[in-house]
Amino acid sequence: MTQGSTDRILHSINAVILGKQHAVKLALSCLIARGHLLIEDLPGVGKTTLAHTLATTLGLRFQRVQFTSDMLPADILGVSIYEPEKHQFSFHRGPIFTQLLLADEINRASPRTQSALLEAMEEQQVTIEGESYPLDDPFFVIATQNPTHQIGTFPLPESQLDRFLMRIQIGYPDHQAERALLIGEDRRLMLKQLSAEITPDELLELQQTASKITLSDALIDYVQALLAYTRQTGQFYNGLSPRAGLGLIQAARAWAMISGRDFVIPEDVQAVFPSIVQHRLQAREHLQSADWALEILQQVAIP
Amino acid sequence: MASKKPVVAPSQTAIHWLMVTLTIIAIPHFFYQPVWVALIFLLMMSWRVMHSWRGWLLPADKRLLKVLHSISAVLTIVLVFYSYGVTIGRDAGVALLTTMAAFKIVEVKSLRDYYLSCFMGFFLVITHFFFNQSIPIVILMLVNVILLTSCLITANETDSSAKNRVKQASIMVLQATPLMLLLFVLFPRISGPIWGLPNDAMDIPDSLPDTMTLGEVPPRNSAISGMSDDITIGNISQLTQSDAIAFRVKFENNQFPDRQNLYWRGPVLWHTDGKRWLPLNEKQKKQDQVVQLHVTGKPTSYSITLEPHDRRWLFALDFPTTYPQTMQTQLTADGELNSREAIKQRVQYQLSSHHQYQFNPEMDGYLGYGLNLPDDRHPRSQRLARDLVEKSESSEAYIESVLDYFRQQNFSYSLTPPALRGDTIDQFLFETRQGFCEHYAASFTVLMRAAGIPARIVTGYQGGDINPVDQILTVRQRDAHAWTEVWLPNKGWIRIDPTATVSSNRVDFGIGDLLPAERRSPRAIANNDRLVEMWQSAKNNWDALNSAWDMWVVSYGPERQLDLLKKLGMQQPDWQKMISWLAIGIALIFSWIAWTTLRLKSASQDKSQRVYQQFCAKLARLDIVRQPHEGPEDFAHRAQQALPAYQQQIATISHLYLHLRYRGDAVEEAFFDSVKQFKPQL
Repeated sequence: MTQGSTDRILHSINAVILGKQHAVKLALSCLIARGHLLIEDLPGVGKTTLAHTLATTLGLRFQRVQFTSDMLPADILGVSIYEPEKHQFSFHRGPIFTQLLLADEINRASPRTQSALLEAMEEQQVTIEGESYPLDDPFFVIATQNPTHQIGTFPLPESQLDRFLMRIQIGYPDHQAERALLIGEDRRLMLKQLSAEITPDELLELQQTASKITLSDALIDYVQALLAYTRQTGQFYNGLSPRAGLGLIQAARAWAMISGRDFVIPEDVQAVFPSIVQHRLQAREHLQSADWALEILQQVAIP
Repeated sequence: MASKKPVVAPSQTAIHWLMVTLTIIAIPHFFYQPVWVALIFLLMMSWRVMHSWRGWLLPADKRLLKVLHSISAVLTIVLVFYSYGVTIGRDAGVALLTTMAAFKIVEVKSLRDYYLSCFMGFFLVITHFFFNQSIPIVILMLVNVILLTSCLITANETDSSAKNRVKQASIMVLQATPLMLLLFVLFPRISGPIWGLPNDAMDIPDSLPDTMTLGEVPPRNSAISGMSDDITIGNISQLTQSDAIAFRVKFENNQFPDRQNLYWRGPVLWHTDGKRWLPLNEKQKKQDQVVQLHVTGKPTSYSITLEPHDRRWLFALDFPTTYPQTMQTQLTADGELNSREAIKQRVQYQLSSHHQYQFNPEMDGYLGYGLNLPDDRHPRSQRLARDLVEKSESSEAYIESVLDYFRQQNFSYSLTPPALRGDTIDQFLFETRQGFCEHYAASFTVLMRAAGIPARIVTGYQGGDINPVDQILTVRQRDAHAWTEVWLPNKGWIRIDPTATVSSNRVDFGIGDLLPAERRSPRAIANNDRLVEMWQSAKNNWDALNSAWDMWVVSYGPERQLDLLKKLGMQQPDWQKMISWLAIGIALIFSWIAWTTLRLKSASQDKSQRVYQQFCAKLARLDIVRQPHEGPEDFAHRAQQALPAYQQQIATISHLYLHLRYRGDAVEEAFFDSVKQFKPQL
């Protein structure tokens, strides 16, 4: 069942998002690995479309919040309002009470609002005035972010970037794909016609299966060699944390499962590695980020 | 891949660690060097400290500072040149290295600079040897080397704690020890200035002079450079103040001669102006003289480790009959054993001596010098000699009567005799009558010559202390002694020690018993016999350790090396053989290292991995080389594209390998077989 369902999901997303198979597969792996996803790219390359397609094909309830600089935490989490008839406060749930939240342009909001969201992501619940309200399960956040050098942005601090399992870039489509896009149907219409390929329960099942993918000692040796390299090379201010290592393994498992294997091979780790480490490592010298992640892979021999 | 490697800066921890290490290395040098060396060193260190602490700029940050830094470095070189006159040699070189290491530390920006500073540190460690070769210094140097190694580790690994880094460095230094020992033992030792320490490496302590002055000697401190040699040198009684070691003796089979025979010959003095005694000059020494030596009895064989004294003479037990082989030694016609070069480093030589001998019994070319006395000096002594000659029947009887005179006339032995002024010999013989060996030897010689018996003064050492721990006899400067030799027809030169006549203890028990108590043990424990005993035994052990160190390590020169290699079974060792043995030894050590690392590596690889390597090797022959970072599946795809004919085989092999290694469920044999059957061809 797993192989068929993930293939179908990928197929329907790729019908909408053209020529971005790798990014789409990464995004799906991220969700199957129970991670939150950060998409960083220029406006107009299909960040929102990707999030929307994912939500629809996975059959998840979807909410979109457009972040602005004057946004307050209550605008996301919800607010308690006094109801005179009942003589009590009642909690009005915010947009965060959904299964997939698209936080659009997260770095336009003030740090206060950003951290309210990120806290909820970490805790899987919202606490307001002493009352805790659990979030849905599954619950995902797909945040999009403009490149930080654009004006009017508050870059996410490193500690909060760490909450996202992956950060991916979409980039411009290639010549062929762009031509097909320009000729083809209106994407918004296509989104409306899109139907769910699986139910949320099936998604939970996929996640279960992914977490049981076989991980050999030899592969753990490889992951450890990668982690050790980032700590010893001296090119970065800090090496990768154990949490990053755990994330790497989770994502590699999901990737292996989507690739139709029930065990992880080094190629799986290599496929997800750049998206896992790029937002966690700070290079000492200003290096082109896409390059150095691949460079690490080239420096570490597979044991 | 990026073509240019990023400039990697060493961590702050690493730099601080290096600064502490360099300071520890440099501190002992501050004691030998002018104050400004320490000042410059600490100034530069403080600059770097202020950079870390308060963010002060470094030379690399600002052009002005860079220029300032360079100018002060050049000025420092000028200062070294100004202070020492040269920029090479021990003191100037070390001053230069110390200050430049400090200048470098404020420049450290990249890892490369850091390594350079570390290596300067290693050089600085070596220079300690130029000043001191004792065991404590070597321990300090070892600590320094470990600290520097831990600096190198720190630069590459910031995660581990300081304790772990030092531990790792210690292990590495320990691992290097076999190689060090091999190089130490086998690297060919060649005597000569290039291979040894710099000429000024040894501090020359007080040593036996080749002149002897009775009476007042100018204090050593008043010596100003440019004044003649013999004024700056003290006479023998001044030497008794010094506990410095003159030489050490190891007797073959630990057979010690009697104390009465422990006369160590040194310079022989002939000429006198009534106050000073001088040896023959070079021209007189060069006269061809025949030496006749008749010996009886068994020889005593021994080896001497001589401390440097900057003179050419070697000491030998009276009278040397076989001479050291390794040094170009020569016995002069008046019985001095001389090396060709001045002794500037600790040397070892082996020789043997006979206690019963006749030296030039028939004729001696120098007899004329042995009768010279200055005119118009010592009138009272001359008169005494004439009186005694009239009463004596023979030369032997005369000698005996002079010795009787010393015995009967209330002469006494004193380390602090009254000062002599005027005619020193007359004053000593007839007024003060308290004296040290040189007074007795000089006045006895004068009395002999006055009676027409050829006589000369032999200086050297008498006695020495035997350390019960290692059975080595140590002769110190305080054992310096002077005695007389007289020439009698058919008997040759006979040793007569007038001091022994007056104070038989000096010869029977050595000078140690005559020294004040506080020179023998510290005053604080002098009243407690048990403590004195313990102190003595500790001192003996420490002395024995130092002797072994000096003889086996510090003065491990050509002779010791040949000796040791012969004992180890090498026939006729020469430098070619040593080099080849060294090469073999190094090769053995490295192949052992290579073997263990390879074994560790292969042990960690299971069989399926080795078989997979064979598969890769087969493809590598067709120029399809797997990169170390390339996953098996990626590699298989690449290989399939290059060899479409073998697509199926490659797919099977990589599928089996992936399952074996990353899933653990494939059948090994199937994998091994398919690799065996895989014979790709283009």
